[in-house]
Amino acid sequence: MKAANLAAGTAISASVAVSGILHAYLYVNGYRDVPTIGSAFLLQGSVFCALAVLILVGGPAWLRLAAAAGAAASLVAFGLSRTIGLFGFIETGWQPAPYAQISVAAEVLTVALVVATVVRRRSSVRHET
Amino acid sequence: MSVDPQGMTRRQLIRHSAWFGAAVALTVAGGEVISHVAGSADATQPARPTLRFAQISDSHIGFNGPANPNVADTFSHAIGQINSLGYTPDFVIHTGDLTHLATPAQFDQVKQMLTELNTPHVFTVPGEHDSTDDAGQKYRQAFGAGTRGDGWYSFDVAGVHVIGLVNTLHLQKLGHLGTDQLEFVEKDVAGLSSDTPIIVFSHIPLFAMYPDWGWGTDDAAQALSYLKRFASVTCLNGHVHQLFSKTEGNVTFYSGTTTAYPLPAPGQGPAPKPMTLPAGKLRDALGIREVSYAKGQQALALKDQKLT
Repeated sequence: MKAANLAAGTAISASVAVSGILHAYLYVNGYRDVPTIGSAFLLQGSVFCALAVLILVGGPAWLRLAAAAGAAASLVAFGLSRTIGLFGFIETGWQPAPYAQISVAAEVLTVALVVATVVRRRSSVRHET
Repeated sequence: MSVDPQGMTRRQLIRHSAWFGAAVALTVAGGEVISHVAGSADATQPARPTLRFAQISDSHIGFNGPANPNVADTFSHAIGQINSLGYTPDFVIHTGDLTHLATPAQFDQVKQMLTELNTPHVFTVPGEHDSTDDAGQKYRQAFGAGTRGDGWYSFDVAGVHVIGLVNTLHLQKLGHLGTDQLEFVEKDVAGLSSDTPIIVFSHIPLFAMYPDWGWGTDDAAQALSYLKRFASVTCLNGHVHQLFSKTEGNVTFYSGTTTAYPLPAPGQGPAPKPMTLPAGKLRDALGIREVSYAKGQQALALKDQKLT
């Protein structure tokens, strides 16, 4: 049980780190010049890197929930930027490739892993009672 | 001390507060590091322009004639040429006539092709061919996300203010902007400082390039009057399928070439009809444009390339 929790924590930490590092990279390489979006990339990058470290060293469960909420918000922002626009800014398809694909995959994985962890924990609590 | 069995003990509260504090501290530290890296990237690349983008125009997807029997192929080459510039342009602007007849299939095809561009952002303005029968409705369905009015917009990038205008929807002979759009321009630039470089995209020229052929915009003077106080104004347009530039006061106009087929020079012939060039000469008349801007410079640097 403990080993499974450790493995889940490591996987969540890795997926959160990937998304954070990619957003930080894109911020450094051009996105910082985009109004509002640039600041959002900086915030996303630094928050996600911090969460990745704290989840890896065994932080409490709410850190994972915060990571899942952040990942879901990033996915919504991605969707908006390709449809109706986000703060007046629009992007096309999977550009910038391959960063957009990797980042979206990492965020989907984060949400999925956290949901799986929560479901597993609830079912094990039910079995114990 | 009584403890609520469902609640949190004091020790747990302190522990969670410590984790929260660590999260905030790490976030701030991480933000500092990322900003520092971004600052060093600037310092180590002093020669890199602040802004680099590419212009393509008049792809006329769906055109079928002897002037260019395969416009999709030449447009595809133009996209490949932009992808081979050796850097990733901050964005690519297509200055109109994306399609030839504004059919849904043509819009689908051009939209699909534009996704092949290696750039974070693709912007467009409509040409008159993109709004032949519906006042630009199909165009806006395909490319109008995030725009205002009939498809106009503005944004800021790297300290430059960019405006995309629509002057092809209410044209009689010349291009026309209309009251709503003029009002938009006036309000849009009202809060900007006069040293902000301005770039304006439109399909039909905002200067009188050749009014007899409709190569001008009847109410452009009004729009340009709102831009008079700015030190640097650059207007990029398509429509005329050939390179041309003109400076009027603080404004420089640059007409871009096409990726489809050439048109005659102003007045050379009775009407601006597609020209069929001798075999092997077509690509010399087609091309793409690189545009760069470095902070502190008054003017933008333009580099036109023939289609290879």
